[in-house]
Amino acid sequence: MKLDLEKLFLKKDVSFDLYEIDVFSADDQQLQQISDRMGLALSIDEMIRIKKYFQDKNRLPTDVELQALGQAWSEHCCYKSSKIPLQKHVYGIEEDKIVAREDAGVIEFDKDHYYVAALESHNHPSAIEPYGGAATGIGGIVRDVVCMGAQPIAFVDPLFFGPLDTPFENLPKGVKHPRFLFKGVVDGIRDYGNRIGIPTVCGQVYFHKGYVGNCLVNVGCIGILKKKMLIHSRAKSVGDVYVYVGGKTGRDGIHGVTFASSELTDESEESSRSAVQVGDPITKEPLIHATLECNEKGLLEGLKDFGGGGLSCVCGELAYAAGFGAEIHLDNVPLKESEMSPWEIWVSESQERMMFLVKPDNIKKVLHICRQWDVTAVPIGRVIDKSVIRVFYKGIKVLEMDLDFLTGGPVYDSCIRPFTLPLHPEEKEGYSFNQPEDLNEMLKKLLSSPNIASKEWVVRQYDHEVRGNTIIKPLQGVLGFETHGDAAVLKPLEDSYRGIAITADVNPRFMERNPYWGACSAVDEVCRNLVSVGSKPDALLDCLNFGNPEKPERMGEFYEACRGLGDMAKTLHLPFMSGNVSFYNESIQSAVPPTPQLMGIGIVEDIRKCITSYIKKAGNPLYMVGRKTLKEMGGSEYYSLLGLKNGRVPRTNAAFLKKCIDNVSLAIKRGYVASCHDVSEGGIGVCLSEMTIGGDIGAAVDISKTSEDSDLRSDFKLFSETNTRWIIEIKKEKQKDFEELMLKKRMFFIKIGETGKNRLVVTDKNETVVDLKLSVLREHWRNTIWNIMG
Amino acid sequence: MKKTVKKEDIKIAILRIEGTNCEQESYDAFKRLGAQPEFVHLKQLLNIDCKKNERRDIFQYQCIMIPGGFSAGDYIRAGAIFAARIKSKLQKKLIEFVKQEYPILGICNGFQVLIELGLLPGIDEIMSPVPKACLNINDSNRFECRPTLLKHENKGKCVFTSMIPKNDIRLIPSAHAEGKLLFPLDKQIEYIERMEENDQIVFKYVDPNGNYAGYPWNPNGSISNIAGICNYIGNVFGMMPHPERSFYKYQHPEWTKEGLNSNIGDGQAVFTSVLKYICRRF
Repeated sequence: MKLDLEKLFLKKDVSFDLYEIDVFSADDQQLQQISDRMGLALSIDEMIRIKKYFQDKNRLPTDVELQALGQAWSEHCCYKSSKIPLQKHVYGIEEDKIVAREDAGVIEFDKDHYYVAALESHNHPSAIEPYGGAATGIGGIVRDVVCMGAQPIAFVDPLFFGPLDTPFENLPKGVKHPRFLFKGVVDGIRDYGNRIGIPTVCGQVYFHKGYVGNCLVNVGCIGILKKKMLIHSRAKSVGDVYVYVGGKTGRDGIHGVTFASSELTDESEESSRSAVQVGDPITKEPLIHATLECNEKGLLEGLKDFGGGGLSCVCGELAYAAGFGAEIHLDNVPLKESEMSPWEIWVSESQERMMFLVKPDNIKKVLHICRQWDVTAVPIGRVIDKSVIRVFYKGIKVLEMDLDFLTGGPVYDSCIRPFTLPLHPEEKEGYSFNQPEDLNEMLKKLLSSPNIASKEWVVRQYDHEVRGNTIIKPLQGVLGFETHGDAAVLKPLEDSYRGIAITADVNPRFMERNPYWGACSAVDEVCRNLVSVGSKPDALLDCLNFGNPEKPERMGEFYEACRGLGDMAKTLHLPFMSGNVSFYNESIQSAVPPTPQLMGIGIVEDIRKCITSYIKKAGNPLYMVGRKTLKEMGGSEYYSLLGLKNGRVPRTNAAFLKKCIDNVSLAIKRGYVASCHDVSEGGIGVCLSEMTIGGDIGAAVDISKTSEDSDLRSDFKLFSETNTRWIIEIKKEKQKDFEELMLKKRMFFIKIGETGKNRLVVTDKNETVVDLKLSVLREHWRNTIWNIMG
Repeated sequence: MKKTVKKEDIKIAILRIEGTNCEQESYDAFKRLGAQPEFVHLKQLLNIDCKKNERRDIFQYQCIMIPGGFSAGDYIRAGAIFAARIKSKLQKKLIEFVKQEYPILGICNGFQVLIELGLLPGIDEIMSPVPKACLNINDSNRFECRPTLLKHENKGKCVFTSMIPKNDIRLIPSAHAEGKLLFPLDKQIEYIERMEENDQIVFKYVDPNGNYAGYPWNPNGSISNIAGICNYIGNVFGMMPHPERSFYKYQHPEWTKEGLNSNIGDGQAVFTSVLKYICRRF
């Protein structure tokens, strides 16, 4: 049997490694074996399709051709499972606003500028090799923004790991400890991001047992671009020259995309190590300079970064997008190792590479600029008018395929993945328990739970201020007492006070219980955060991290999440400007909770009106604004702490949220607001704690009237995570103006107390339920992650 | 007979190589004050891969600034590679530049470069043949990005801080992994005493009460809480924190509490001071 398969690989009589694969003689089973052996990750149906294509051409495919197809058709490159639900729910919202959507999305910032943003996952590489995986994740996302011609201005890094105290004996075989992964990923982001001089300004760190076998590392980047500098990832005219720019091509990062499109197994460490690329920020930093300088000088016709699929995808897509073809010579590609076979050169995903398309007249100028930056630049081919791609190596043609077939990818219209919708059995409450005696204790425990506790250990390792444009920083507060902010704000232009606010959110506990309402809640939270700093939500990006789409339940979760995102975004008029789908986030143990990571972008008209989350002054009134608190405890930190699995996940209403966004924003714009913080994990209790910790000023509040049902228990009032709520500190002298505005706009608002002293005191119906010194709150909130990570 | 340079004619070379990355905000700081900064790649001074019109000479500028970043990746030791490349060909010219009392500024990675070059600490000599100090890995063994408070201790020697009153406390943020100033153990006391006599100590890390304090107020464990020093002449100055990141008030961490007022940040005076010096001196 094994011998038979061997016979199908026919070595060509040339001076290098080149095979023809006899797919004609192979039966279906053998086709699958060919795919497995070559690491193509193609299905039998796809292999049959390929066989038929070459039968029509009347010749056998080379190994280079099959590898190219494996890359181009992988889930990662052409989204074969996700296209339909995405089209149905997520695409097509406010599409007019989006100027371009290629490797990154492009939207107008002001009359002369666009902002550019992209969000991606780098999950599987990070699970195998956290440092390199995370670093190259940053490297990849920054290229996506640069290849639109934009100057990157900030990174966003949402991370998801197993609990840091997971006992070693509970780790499945081949899985690395969450602490090791957490440290490695943060180190990787730090060393790469800091070195290329782009600030990392926000993110999210979440711990949940569902991520033990498969951590998630999502990376986002935002850039700014003069309108006339926008460049596309497509050829302009026949004869344009492909110029390969940047790092050398090596054997690192081979089969990265096919690796990303399979589940992790206990052998991934062994089999897939070579799929993780090696990052080199000090090649990247001048590469960014050289690329932007060439573009600024108008020397580029098209520009694309090397991402998944390497040369194969870049060359094909640049030509295909314009209806042209390409002729490429591999001989000049700079290599890390001399003995690479042509298929390895063609699909390697080595980092730090860009492809320029340049008019022949401009080649000299481009090469000069690159040389000045010590960046390698080599012409390797040209654009041809027939939509076919031909690749040559040492004078031999090693690949020739129609781009329609190769890059167009299989269309799965008739092949919808089966899905079953989740039933949400855990939504029912199903138990009763008494309110714990001591809510002080509960609040302290919540503050020290890793998902709520201070992320200072992470934030301070990232340079969040390089470039000098970070106006609202990730940690906010009185010097030495900083608390979490809701969003970061950047001022990208020297001559304008217009700003960009950024945040990243999703609640995996809501998601695993109810993917529809979980997704809706994520949109709600993004908007709350953006509003809290004084910005208006402008666009969303989605990085959809899910399990194996071949399993109907996983596909069902995906459908429901997309539906939630779409329903919210439509009413809020927020487009999804860019995104990424990452399936197969599944290890032997289990799938990850469905995790549609959102990145939200808000526009600040004048950064001088921005506000922050910490209490500013004693004697100011405090309000709760938005929705009244409901008993929505499903997926809450409080229930998780108590070990309770059930409960209703928070609902939301997009139209109501929209009204709140407008009116809270208006109050901020009018200068009534001293500080504002959104209510999320840990409810009002945690929200107030964070505000007082950062301001080093206490508060006395009464929560009697904050809930829809006035008889709601104090612990639920304090810790329910109902959506669309903010706690707002109003400047004393603006109290009347604020109340009048809220009345006029028919907003729900309630004065809950006043700032002052050095304690947080909460009463409910004349009974004191929380009374803690700020120093105690701070100590519990601050130390958890420091104590574990050192 | 003294001729004076007008501020708008002052040219500042913002020197860079691969991995330099605070050049834009450094450029902006000088530009906002009306001077003429220019990005200059080291290769333009060394005449490598340059067209004729791209060649530069340091004497075309009245000031050289080496900005922050991770020059050449900081892979050997922060600033070492950048310094070695400068030294290989520009040593004589640089000594002449300093001798003529033109100012040189090094911030963060730039400070590390000046130490590696031997231009700092510059105790009674312009350039030492081997480095006499080093900026070592932070005590926390981590990159530290945090606001730091600096007490101005210079009595008037340093041309980059003449506009800052003595004992003034300024909020200028730090962001580095290697910022712990160290001297050879057997020379430590002697060097610090000499630097104090020469008025070479410029900034020291303090806490909000103005006291010399340990971590996190001193983010790296630097000896005697030193954050910035100048040479014995006062025209070569290096500091770890980033004044270009606190040029405007809205770059400060607490501006939403304190208000913007005139919107002048605590770091701006470093740039105004040196421009004023150049106007007067040349």
